[in-house]
Amino acid sequence: MRPVLVIAAKDLKQRLRDRSAIVLALLAPLAVAALMSAAFGGAENVHATLAVANEDHGAVATGLLAALHAPELGRLVTVDEVRSASAATQAVRSGSADAGIVIPAGFSASVLTASPEALSTVTSVNDTVAAELASSVTQAFTARLNGDRLAVATALAAGAPASHVQALARDASGLELPVDVVQRALGARQLSTISYFAPAMAIFFVLFVVSFTSRSFFVEREQGMIERALAAPISARHVVAGKALSAFVLAATSLAVIGVVTGTAFGADWGDPLGAILVSLAMVLSVVALTALVIGVARTERQAETVSSIVVFCLALLGGNFVLVSVAPPLLRRLALFTPNGWALRGYTDLATTGGGVGTVVVPVLAILAFAAVVGVAGLLLARRAVRP
Amino acid sequence: MIRLAAPVRDPAVAGPLLRCEGLTRRFGDRVAVEGVSLSLPAGEVYGLLGPNGAGKTTTIKMVCGLTAPDRGTVHVAGEPATSARARRLVGYVPQDVALYPDLTARENLRFLGSLYGLSGGVLRERVAEALELTDLTDRARERVGSYSGGMKRRLNMAAGLLHHPRLLVLDEPTVGVDPQSRFAILERVRTFAGQGMAVLYTTHYMEEADRICDRVGIIDHGHLVAEGTRRELVAKLGEKDRIELGALGDLERLAELSRQVPGVEGAGVADHCVHLVATSGRELLPALLEAADRAEVDITSVDVVEPDLEAVFLHLTGTALRE
Repeated sequence: MRPVLVIAAKDLKQRLRDRSAIVLALLAPLAVAALMSAAFGGAENVHATLAVANEDHGAVATGLLAALHAPELGRLVTVDEVRSASAATQAVRSGSADAGIVIPAGFSASVLTASPEALSTVTSVNDTVAAELASSVTQAFTARLNGDRLAVATALAAGAPASHVQALARDASGLELPVDVVQRALGARQLSTISYFAPAMAIFFVLFVVSFTSRSFFVEREQGMIERALAAPISARHVVAGKALSAFVLAATSLAVIGVVTGTAFGADWGDPLGAILVSLAMVLSVVALTALVIGVARTERQAETVSSIVVFCLALLGGNFVLVSVAPPLLRRLALFTPNGWALRGYTDLATTGGGVGTVVVPVLAILAFAAVVGVAGLLLARRAVRP
Repeated sequence: MIRLAAPVRDPAVAGPLLRCEGLTRRFGDRVAVEGVSLSLPAGEVYGLLGPNGAGKTTTIKMVCGLTAPDRGTVHVAGEPATSARARRLVGYVPQDVALYPDLTARENLRFLGSLYGLSGGVLRERVAEALELTDLTDRARERVGSYSGGMKRRLNMAAGLLHHPRLLVLDEPTVGVDPQSRFAILERVRTFAGQGMAVLYTTHYMEEADRICDRVGIIDHGHLVAEGTRRELVAKLGEKDRIELGALGDLERLAELSRQVPGVEGAGVADHCVHLVATSGRELLPALLEAADRAEVDITSVDVVEPDLEAVFLHLTGTALRE
C-alpha cells in the first residue's frame, strides 16, 4: 500500500504545481458556473413593465386589465396603462416599457361575434423575456376567453333559456387570468439556474481530470520514470493504483470545493449532503475508470490529449452539461442515460427538486457505478500494456 | 562512502552476485539478445561493450527485471531478477535522465528512495548523502528542470544509489556528458567497486571500458562474442596490428576496399578515421595506399598503434565500434 500512497502523493504534488490543472479543476468551474448563473439566472426573477393600450374600454378589456393588476401577477409585471397603440409602441421603443399589449377598439363587443378582434403585443428584439411574458399573458387570457365563449355557445346550443345567457355573460366578464399557466410558460422547473449549472460545470471540469492524468502518465513514460519506478521493488499494479488514487483525490477535491463554494457563495442547492456525496463519489470513480480507458487506448501524450478531449466533450454534450436535458430532444435524453455525467446531473437535480435523501439517488448512483465498472475493467485490461516497460 | 545493502543470507550469494544464463529476447522477428551468459562477482566492474543496437540495453533490462527473457535466467544474489528481493539489491541508472523536471532534486530523491522502502530518518540521511555525493546540496531545493545537463546526469546516477545497492547497473551513463562530468562519473564507478559494489556498465566508448572495467564483454547483434579482461581480449589478436588511416574523402569506400586487401581482418570508420586490424600491418601499407588512390581518398595520417579493445572489436566483428 505504501508505494501506492507515495506515487499518489507525488502525482498530487505535481498537479498542485501545474497551474493549468488548478485552473481547470477549481477556478474554471466556479467562474463558469457564476457566469452562467448571471447570464441565465434572471429567469428566476422575471419582471417586466407592460405598456397596455386599452382602446376598447369594454367589459372584456376591463376584465383583462383587472387580471393584469391581480396580486398574483404583481411580482411578474407592472402595468402601465397608455392611451393608444402608438403610445404603447413609443413606450417600448423608448425603453420606458419592456413590452406592450394592445386591446383594440371593439374588442369586447367582438368577443360575442363569430370573428372576434385579436389582442396584439408590442415587443422588442432586445428583451425576449418581456416579449415571452407579454405573449404568454395574452395567450393565456385569450385561451380562457375562448373557453368561456365555447361554454356560452354550448349552453345556447343545448337550449338554455335567454335569461341564463345573461348570467353566463356576467360570469364571462369576471374572467381571471390563469396565473399558473403563465408561470409554467416562463420557468421549466422549480430549480434555480445556479443549482443546475453549478453541478453541471463541476462535472464538466472534473472530466478534465481524465485529460491531465492520462497525459501526465504518458509524459512520465516518455521521461523514463515509469520504467525507473518499475525497477524498484514495486509492481505495475502499484503504479496503476497510485495514478488512480491521485486522479480520485483530485476529482473528489474539485467536486467538494465547487460544491461548498457554489452552495455558500452562490446559493446553489445540491440537495441532501449525503446523497450528493454518494453521487459525487460514483462520478469520481467513473472519472478514474475513464482515465484508465484513455491510458489503455492512447499511445502517446498527444493521443491521450486528443482522445480525452473527445471523451470529455462528447460526454458533456450528451449528458446535459451545457443544456438542460429536460428540454433536449428525445434522442438526446435517451443518450444521456448512457453517460455517467448525465446520471450524476439527474441525481443532483433530483436531490434539489424533490428534497429527498439517499433513496432518491439510488438509481443514478447504481447507473454511474455500472458505467465505471464496465469502462474501468476495459481500461485496466488495456492499460496493463501501457504500464509495462 | 556508500554502504552497501545488508548481505543476503542466501547460500547462493557465496557465488557471483549476478548470474545470467542463456538470455534470449526477441521483439517480433528481431532477435535483440541471444544466448547471453555472464556472471559478475562483488567488487568488479563489468563493461558490456557494443555499438548502438547490439543488445546492451535489452540485456540490462532483463538484469533489472524490467523485461522478461524469452529464454534463460537472471539471478541476483541467488534470487530471480524479477523478485522484489533481487530488485532491492539492484540500483538502476537508465541511459536517459529519468527524473521529474518539475520536482526539486530533494523531492525526486525522496520519491525514488520511498519506492525502495526507505522512510523517516534513513530516507533523509540517504537523500542528504546522495546530494553530497553529487555536489548538489546547495541546489537541492531547485527544480531539476533548471539544472544543467551534467548536474542532471549526476543526480540521475545518485538516484540509483539511494538504497545502497550491491549491484549497480549503468546504461551508457556518459552519453552526452561533458568531459569533466564524464571523468567524475568514471571515478565514482571505480570508487563504488572499491567499496565492494558490483557494477554492470554498458558503453559504446571503448576507452571507457578500457579505463574502468575489470572485465569486458563484447556484444554484437545480440551475441556476446568475447569476454575477458582487457589483457585477455587483446591477446586474442596475437601478433596483429591496429592501423588508423586519417583521410579526407569517402571513408566508407576506403574501408570497403581495405577489407579486400589480403591480410586485413577488419575495417571500419570512426572519428574521421578508417580503423583496420591486420597481420603484419606495416607490410600492408603500400596496398592500403593504393586502395586509397582507388577510393579517391587523400590520406592525411597513418598510425600503426598498439592493439586495444577497438582492435579487438574490429577483429571479432569486422566493423568499427562506433560505425
